[in-house]
Amino acid sequence: MECKYLNDLDAGLNFKTLKLEASRCLLCLDAPCSKECPAGTDPAKFIRSVRFDNLKGAAETIRENNPLGGICARVCPTEKYCQKGCLRCGIDKPIDIGSIQRYVCDFEQKTNMKILKKGVDNNKRIAIVGSGPSGLSLASLLLQHGYSVDLYEKNDKLGGYLRYGIPSYRLSNEVLDNEINKIIDLGLKYHTNTEIGKDITLNELKTYFDAVVVAIGYSKGKVLDMFKDNPYVESAVDFLKRIKENDGHVLVDDNVLVIGGGDVSMDICTSLKILGSTNVSAVVYEELFEFKASKKELEDARKHNVTIIDGYVPTACKDNHVTFKHRRLPYQLEMTADKIVLAVGQTYDLGNIDLEMERGQVKTKYNYQVGDSNVFVIGDISINKEKTVVGSVKSAKEALYYINKYLGGF
Amino acid sequence: MVNKDLSIEFLGVKFENPFCLSSSPVGNCYEMCKKAYEVGFGGVVFKTIGPKSYYIDEVSPRFDKLDKEDTPFIGFKNMEQIAEHPLEENLADLRKLKDEFPNKVLIASIMGNDEKTWEELARLVTEAGADMIEMNLSCPQMTSHAMGSDVGTNPELCKKYCQAVKRGSKLPMMAKMTPNITDMCEVAIACLDGGADGIAAINTVKSICNVDINKYVGMPIIDGKSSISGYSGKAIKPIALRFIQQMRDNPKLKNVEISGIGGIETWVDAVEFILLGASTLQMTTSLMQYGYRIVEDLKNGLMHYMEDKGVDSLKDLVGLANKNIIPAENLNRDYIVYPQIDLDTCIGCGRCYISCFDGAHQAMEFNKETRKPFCNEEKCVGCHLCALVCPVDAISKGKIKVKPNRKVDIKNLSL
Repeated sequence: MECKYLNDLDAGLNFKTLKLEASRCLLCLDAPCSKECPAGTDPAKFIRSVRFDNLKGAAETIRENNPLGGICARVCPTEKYCQKGCLRCGIDKPIDIGSIQRYVCDFEQKTNMKILKKGVDNNKRIAIVGSGPSGLSLASLLLQHGYSVDLYEKNDKLGGYLRYGIPSYRLSNEVLDNEINKIIDLGLKYHTNTEIGKDITLNELKTYFDAVVVAIGYSKGKVLDMFKDNPYVESAVDFLKRIKENDGHVLVDDNVLVIGGGDVSMDICTSLKILGSTNVSAVVYEELFEFKASKKELEDARKHNVTIIDGYVPTACKDNHVTFKHRRLPYQLEMTADKIVLAVGQTYDLGNIDLEMERGQVKTKYNYQVGDSNVFVIGDISINKEKTVVGSVKSAKEALYYINKYLGGF
Repeated sequence: MVNKDLSIEFLGVKFENPFCLSSSPVGNCYEMCKKAYEVGFGGVVFKTIGPKSYYIDEVSPRFDKLDKEDTPFIGFKNMEQIAEHPLEENLADLRKLKDEFPNKVLIASIMGNDEKTWEELARLVTEAGADMIEMNLSCPQMTSHAMGSDVGTNPELCKKYCQAVKRGSKLPMMAKMTPNITDMCEVAIACLDGGADGIAAINTVKSICNVDINKYVGMPIIDGKSSISGYSGKAIKPIALRFIQQMRDNPKLKNVEISGIGGIETWVDAVEFILLGASTLQMTTSLMQYGYRIVEDLKNGLMHYMEDKGVDSLKDLVGLANKNIIPAENLNRDYIVYPQIDLDTCIGCGRCYISCFDGAHQAMEFNKETRKPFCNEEKCVGCHLCALVCPVDAISKGKIKVKPNRKVDIKNLSL
């Protein structure tokens, strides 16, 4: 049976609709879109290339700036970044920049372009721990700058949250593999099923390599005390991983209560609906005006008839029964479900890696460096505040600069 | 990023890339040309410098555009004449540009009103440091009939003025042609006879772009009146390509070096001009609409094209398509190729049916139940109007039928 979970929810553009969308662009002076991307993407330039029939040039503009361009095109909450200030809003609605980028990156893949080049060997060796978006983008950047890179991943496949968190209907394994292969082609050495602190210690890496970068992300779902050790409760992270590892072939309950209102929560809700749950209700701390999930994710959940109840906090849980109170109003909500999924945020799982944490971050200087050691920390567990894929790319770019500096580059 | 050498030699001068500003409002002063060089143009044809005695007095407003449906600027109408700055100022700008950009090509466009002024202007721009001269024999909106396209349609006068310019300067020189003529070759040959080293083609096409239907006057309106003036932009690309092909096809002009002008906007346009024989390319309308920045995609796109074709030198592409444009009587008329409709792609709009019935041979049938078209090959002549109007590109070339009593090796047809 064909599994809807594996199909793109958004069909994307075809060549005709691509040209139409690009021709809506005003090609404005000082384009606001090009100032809003944490990773420094220049949509004004690549849309102009599309407009003037230069798809290959557009692909170069995207890829040379962002090693994960094809992934960001699919998962980035563009309304918070590039599309935010789009001047086309003065006429109707912003340009669909994400979809244009997606078409161009798919074109790059189809035409087998090799845009990124390995840098001239600089005899420096770097170890990266964790192959999520931060680790992967930094690996690509370092390889382009001539470093030798060893990437360590405790799971059996590369990708981290991209592989085990984002549902296939938003990011397929095929697209992810293509993006990872572009990095492997630059000469990446990778070691899967290898856990730092167990199979090899951080100290050993520090000795063998000129620098070690820890990019382990927030891989664990947070669990509020009232939900601990409850057989009805599963964390969103675990659930998403279970669905993705099984290509969507998992049995889901009929009535599911999802707690939380971020992108992860919306991913859970939409996945459940696609997989066949009859009733999916998300109870969310934030009220709709302050909603955290991206517009697209919220829209997808709504299109799939997810019930969204905003403004409530859980106050008690007994087995599969949860009591909520409204944050401002004298309302109380009692809910009983077959299953409860907690999507109330994520946290780090250091395992046996010896690093000092403070409020969810490893203590580092502004330059991502741990004290004066040769250890750097990027991504979710770093000082970088943007907990998105594009935020990861940003922290990787900044770290590249400081690692270069530290190792006597430029 | 792809990196290919885009340099090309034209009239003995090396251009780092073939893209130039054409002599027009886009290269009207030092600041503009400086920016164009910095953004990446290989050369600049400075706005035409005229004789000191000729006073430029412009109208306001002076432009108009032709739209079609939701596409603006299909064509553009311009009433501006040659450079309005004083002669000394223009010459000073040329000097400064050559001084600051010694590796970029600086072309001075000039226009005299008699032999003496042509010769004098040639001498002055040479002294100012220009690398090349372009003779403007073609501006269609001059207020003097001794200048512009009225001259450019007179081969004798063109030859005489070319000789005058050659007396004034030893620089390589190209003559810029007007398309407001039936046979451009005659004028081009006269110019070469007069000493021109190459040809620039085309200047703008005489036009009335729009008429204000309430005020009964052409656009733009200048105190209740308007004038015929030059039309440019994408709409004239087909006209430019035709003239360039005709010159390259003429035995006396076969190897003439050409600077191509007329509606160039994308690298694809550029390649088309090159394949028909242009070595350098000049642009105005697209720059007026979008700015000099579009040269980035012209260069990058051209590099990718060369990479894809395995070509390392731009000159290897010049004129490759000339031999494949032949007289209509020599075309193979022995076969019909029928349209092939991809019914999975077809969205059932019926546009092919409408156009075939109203504009072709009533061969397309349309099933209103299934909303799918069907080509009746009994009636179809293989004109492919249906393919041209299909909004989803569902119609391609399909089955070939050889006409009765003709011999065609179908396998070797190049469709």
